[in-house]
Amino acid sequence: MTVLASGRGQSMGRKTGGYLPPSLEPYALVLPAILVLAFFFAGPALYNIALSFQNVSLFDLGQSNEWVGFANFVAVLTGGGLAAAFFNTAVMQTLITVVLRLLFGLGLAILLNADVFKRWQLGWLVRSLVLIPFVTPPVVAVAAWKWLLDPRYGAVNQLLLSLGLIERGIPFLSRTSTVWAAVDAMLIWRELPFVVITFLAALQSIPKELKESARIDGASEFQIHTLIVLPMLKPVIAIVALLTTIWTFNNFVYVWLATRGGPGDYTQVLATKMYTVSFVDYRVGEGAAIGVLMSIIMFIFAFGYLAVLSRKGKEAA
Amino acid sequence: MMQTQSTHRARGRLAKDLATVVFGIGVLLGLAFPFIWVVLISFRPDREIFTRTFRLFTTVTLDNYYALLENSPFGAYLKNSIIICSISTIAAITISLIAAYGFSRNRNFKGRGLLLLLVVCTQLFPYVILITPLYSMFLKLGLIDNPISLVVSYTAMNLPFAIYLLLGYLDTIPKDLDEAAKLDGASTIQIIVKVILPIAWPGVVTVAVNAFVSAWDEFLFALTLMTSDEKKTVPVGLAGFFGEYTTQWNLVMTASVISTLPTLILFMFLQRKLVSDLAAGAVKL
Repeated sequence: MTVLASGRGQSMGRKTGGYLPPSLEPYALVLPAILVLAFFFAGPALYNIALSFQNVSLFDLGQSNEWVGFANFVAVLTGGGLAAAFFNTAVMQTLITVVLRLLFGLGLAILLNADVFKRWQLGWLVRSLVLIPFVTPPVVAVAAWKWLLDPRYGAVNQLLLSLGLIERGIPFLSRTSTVWAAVDAMLIWRELPFVVITFLAALQSIPKELKESARIDGASEFQIHTLIVLPMLKPVIAIVALLTTIWTFNNFVYVWLATRGGPGDYTQVLATKMYTVSFVDYRVGEGAAIGVLMSIIMFIFAFGYLAVLSRKGKEAA
Repeated sequence: MMQTQSTHRARGRLAKDLATVVFGIGVLLGLAFPFIWVVLISFRPDREIFTRTFRLFTTVTLDNYYALLENSPFGAYLKNSIIICSISTIAAITISLIAAYGFSRNRNFKGRGLLLLLVVCTQLFPYVILITPLYSMFLKLGLIDNPISLVVSYTAMNLPFAIYLLLGYLDTIPKDLDEAAKLDGASTIQIIVKVILPIAWPGVVTVAVNAFVSAWDEFLFALTLMTSDEKKTVPVGLAGFFGEYTTQWNLVMTASVISTLPTLILFMFLQRKLVSDLAAGAVKL
């Protein structure tokens, strides 16, 4: 009923079910979504901040608890393990896998963008194979890799044994020298297709004539890709890097299922530490404090990243 | 002379094409191998799984599938997941379609820009920090170990991307159609159902598949909010099968195959469309 502000529209408006004044209709339409999002995101986020200043265990959740100021933050920051968890999260889980995903993703996307796949009508096969890790639920991805890496019966160890490279199976996930490589392999494997298909879509939107004319001017394939294709992909790469960084920084499932943060606390990341403190040690206040710290870190990162991007954008313009 | 040169060139091109295809498909098969391996193991008899030598193909049997569905609670997990994911998908579509219509057809209402920005920001939100407060809130409401808590969580989790993607779709549908229906006396809800939905259904399908799949894959909330064994969803149930001490890998691999089937089927049928929609949607964020 909103758009039709003509006299005729208004006179018809009432009887056709417009119970609201037209100016309120947009709010009525978006209200259900906003309410659900407020209940799920805004409410808990604020509640989490409140919990981080309270002395509260898992068993007295929902009662009125003692306010303790910054005691939880002090406990978390001085209690040991937080710096290591932060390093694991930022570098071992996020930085390494994001960089590798961008590199492999770009290489694979450029390879699969070769027009021979289209000419030979292999698009369907290519897309299906690329999507296999993507359709695998993360839990299944971890199960598959744990089985591949099994010290006794896993295919990787069988292969290394039969090649004579090792004398007995390597317990990849319980050795500190190999555990991060193993966890990162699972994560990269499952999350690579998203990067590939995003880059592939961007590559396909680059006009063919551009590459053709460069080729006629005598540019090599390498020059075409570094001088023409890469600069055009920059905005997409920037967004994909931001999204994958944020998603991976907050990720819980790979470390939790692959190692539970072990051996010892060697692979503990902030998300698994937060979960362990809250739901295994029942110290909900301290867990909430870790959550608040995680949010602050990501907030600063995202805004800093976007600020740099927009400044660069302005310089370019 | 000319002819031999051009056949040379054609042959050179064919060789290059062939090399590209063989290399590309080879890399992709390598990438797909971990899952292909899971599928092969799931059809393999016990005694041929736990060997020290690597073999790609062996005897094929369905024993693992019978064992899994008859002697384990996996069937119950499947039922829980199917019910929870279906209801939350339908709820997410309904709420997001109405909201997207509101945002698309009203360009100037106060707070529109801010609300849309907040919707986008939730995409970047660390879900993991929500789990403690949500646990507490659902505890107060008496909904711990009740599937309703998961339905609500998954609906909310999927709303932001759904609204965003549908908004893009609805913006491409001409307003004239709504106005014609309005002149015929249709209410806003009638317009959404009878005019918009029939045109926007490709977008709705993408949103539905994406919502179903992300609910199907979700682990953390299911782990925390469902406490009794018979109420577990597939991912948490499956994770319970590969505990730290004893693992029946044949059953884990079989359960893994079944857990992947819904997403695999949905994506194989709709791959071209889904891939382009999701890639575009993610980058627009």
